Amino acid sequence: MKAELKGNTSVSLQSPTLFDTRQSPLSGALNGCLGSLDGACLEKLLIHCASALETNDVTLAQQVMWVLNNVASSVGDPNQRLTSWFLRALISRASRVYPTTMNFDGSSTIPKRLMSVTELAGYVDLIPWHRFGFCASNSAILKAIQGFPRVHILDFSITHCMQWPTLIDALAKRPEGPPSLRITVPSSRPPVPPLLNISTEEVGLRLGNFAKYRDVPFEFHVFDNSPSTALGEIMCKESPSFHFESILSHLNNPSMLNLREDEALVINCQHWLRYLSDELKGSPHGASLRDTFINIVKGLNPQIIVVVDEDSDLSASSLTSRITTCFNYLWIPYDALETFLPKDSSQRIEYESDVGHKIENIISFEGFQRIERLESGIKLSQRWKNAGYLNIPFCEETVKEVRALLDEHASGWGMKKEEDMLVLTWKGHNSVFATVWVPNGLED
Amino acid sequence: MQVDLDNSSIVSGEASVSSSGNQSTQPPKPSAKKKRNLPGMPDPDAEVIALSPKTLLATNRFVCEICNKGFQRDQNLQLHRRGHNLPWKLRQRSSKEVKKRVYVCPEPSCVHHNPSRALGDLTGIKKHFCRKHGEKKWKCDKCSKKYAVQSDWKAHSKICGTREYKCDCGTLFSRRDSFITHRAFCDALAEESARAQTQTPALVNPNSEPDPNTQPVDSSPPAPAPPPAPSPPPAPSPSPSPPAPPRTTRLISPVLSNKSPELPEKPPRIVEAPVTTGLIGNCSSTTSSSSNGNTSCSVFASLFASSTASASLQNPQPPVFTDLIRAMARPDPPTDMTRPSSTETISLCLATNHGSSLFGTAGQERRQYAPPSQPAMSATALLQKAAQMGAAATNASLLRGFGIVSSSSSSGQQDGLHWSQRQVETEKSSSVPAGLGLGHCDGSSGLKELMMGTPSMFGPKQTTLDFLGLGMAAGGGSPSSGLSALITSIGGGLDVATATAAAAASYGGAEFSSKDIGRRSS
Repeated sequence: MKAELKGNTSVSLQSPTLFDTRQSPLSGALNGCLGSLDGACLEKLLIHCASALETNDVTLAQQVMWVLNNVASSVGDPNQRLTSWFLRALISRASRVYPTTMNFDGSSTIPKRLMSVTELAGYVDLIPWHRFGFCASNSAILKAIQGFPRVHILDFSITHCMQWPTLIDALAKRPEGPPSLRITVPSSRPPVPPLLNISTEEVGLRLGNFAKYRDVPFEFHVFDNSPSTALGEIMCKESPSFHFESILSHLNNPSMLNLREDEALVINCQHWLRYLSDELKGSPHGASLRDTFINIVKGLNPQIIVVVDEDSDLSASSLTSRITTCFNYLWIPYDALETFLPKDSSQRIEYESDVGHKIENIISFEGFQRIERLESGIKLSQRWKNAGYLNIPFCEETVKEVRALLDEHASGWGMKKEEDMLVLTWKGHNSVFATVWVPNGLED
Repeated sequence: MQVDLDNSSIVSGEASVSSSGNQSTQPPKPSAKKKRNLPGMPDPDAEVIALSPKTLLATNRFVCEICNKGFQRDQNLQLHRRGHNLPWKLRQRSSKEVKKRVYVCPEPSCVHHNPSRALGDLTGIKKHFCRKHGEKKWKCDKCSKKYAVQSDWKAHSKICGTREYKCDCGTLFSRRDSFITHRAFCDALAEESARAQTQTPALVNPNSEPDPNTQPVDSSPPAPAPPPAPSPPPAPSPSPSPPAPPRTTRLISPVLSNKSPELPEKPPRIVEAPVTTGLIGNCSSTTSSSSNGNTSCSVFASLFASSTASASLQNPQPPVFTDLIRAMARPDPPTDMTRPSSTETISLCLATNHGSSLFGTAGQERRQYAPPSQPAMSATALLQKAAQMGAAATNASLLRGFGIVSSSSSSGQQDGLHWSQRQVETEKSSSVPAGLGLGHCDGSSGLKELMMGTPSMFGPKQTTLDFLGLGMAAGGGSPSSGLSALITSIGGGLDVATATAAAAASYGGAEFSSKDIGRRSS
């Protein structure tokens, strides 16, 4: 169901007097939307609005925005809610069409919301979007570190260590006793929700507290990748990817990470890799940050690498293609939340607002400010393979655990195996994928 | 190698069969790239089947996709399917005999009515229809969750309230991993271990910085009694003999508020931050250091505030766009709406029957439960209204205010609007070059200028402007031609939405046989 973009669509002439020689693209947009405006129509309208903006067709843009505005509602049904965030993103984009003279920090128009750590714990369990990755990853990690007395996890994620309590719990119950666990995180993370009201160090303290309570020897390190110089500060503003470059330089210099010989090194990427730019231009070595990361990590000799991310290709340069793909992907959380939370639930609204944040970034920004560079599991897997890694399939036990997890959520959540990926599905549609990698030549 | 999980017990509802990929119909070829459809973009070759509500609600919920024979139990269906020569093989081969089928929901307002969101298996669509559009007759006594399908209700009742994990702070969990995660970060644990170490009552850490946001800061009452949970983690208060490196378990001041005991089954709720805007929550108070101030945040917040709509389906009260405009101009959402009541003539503004629109309406109160609204206006009606924007649509719009020059030939300009535009531009040049970003937390954004500019243009001939800054001459100007053409091509003002709603209602009340299936296919 491809939306018709610009260009004239023939409209039946029933009233020639009213008909102008210039046919309105809007008529094309609404061709077929005879009754209520359903998802397909909304999608078409969004696309028309976007292309109107791109061609400076003010009339059309505002007409479409007006129509959309009358349908959109952040407290309506899922389609309406989804549309409201898209509309907002488009308007936000409209306001950015011309570059500003003042330093524009690229922050979103949606005010940031900070959560407490227990709120976050509940947040990640609202729908299995994150917990799916945690469960599959922890299970795979547990298996991979069998026999090692020490484990070091390099944790790259956006969920502030919510993944680890269950792993610590599982380690504590290991028949041969728990290993010593060390978790290292970068000091800065992508500026996206969910946001916490406490520092990373405090999170680490609590986690350490819990580990102690479970008698698991534990260390928590934050490696500082924030700029230490004035120049660095400026560079951060100019290019948010600077933080990532700093991470890469740390990785390139393993002594800074304090790696030990007898340690099983685990690299954990949860909903994080998509923030590493995949653009080639402008990079010094001709490779994208993403590819650079993938390559560098091999040099660390990891025991296992887990990669979990959102299964959609959303880094195309064409706005209209992004709108289509995004609309047909991010309907999933809205639809899922609808099944068990009422329309006015603040939890639901907040979660949707965070998804709206993502939508805004994808639709409203360009260049380095567009940090959400989602890549489908298949494509991302290809990168890892190209870089010399082997894809390890998930064992049956893991699959069972994930299934048990999904059982406890709404019945639309499912799971499937695609090649060697595990994919979380909602009503059959792919949402999140999980993969496990080892450097080629290191597999057992 | 493809594992089709569909044949094994479908544990999690609409499981593996994806309508979004056709790789399940092709044997894996090592060299060829697997064509992979985007989510939501089903196999274009798939046959889209639209069954009637009656069919979907039929008791024989398990229907063979090949011959459409119905069964009460999934096991019987599976046995029967074997007679069709192992269905999974058929799925793998993209055969001419059995075409890939996807199913749409008959309910027009449903997201799955759209073929691009079709569900890949028959059982899935039936279950969906039942659960989503069927009447929820079955209610759990303990937690009052409602179910349309008796077996779902039975299955839920079995587990409701059985497995409960209780944190020291009092919160209840039905899932172990949620419990563990919560517990790890809960204040109760922090305080308890501090107690264990220091042997003194809970201290507030003097180093903790005052929390900038206004999340209610209740100290969680540390439950002194050990949790009576059936399967608790190892006893909470042994003071582990301080092992290896002495860790300073610094007490973190309780900046959180822990929830009082929740109903089981529900995940612990996020603190009910006073949500002034449905979308954003504590806009004014939760600004992180990255935003520069409250002004534009609340400005933008009010722009997108979902507010209590006075308008309902039956009683449309046109919310005033000027309110929105004024809201944009001032940091605080205005509470008094003194703008002319001649808003009746504005068919342009948010005054549709819909009511629950994106943009703010009078009285920026938080919207309470909205009646389940389909997009109430038909495309036809919306188009008619949009058309009435007329020629004026080309001028002094929101976008124009940002300097986007219209390339479309504008058919006539109204003076007032022209002036508005000029005024905007003047104001813009005199203001700090703040740029146009709405995200700019600085009062002189272009949008704000525009919005401040427009209200003053309300002259007698102009009733009001909608948010886009369009003037609507009373009585409506000449309709924009393209839209009229569309309207006439659609064929008039039949409010199809109403008809649809009526039809939908009849689906909802459809006879659902309570004589249900023994085994729940989950």
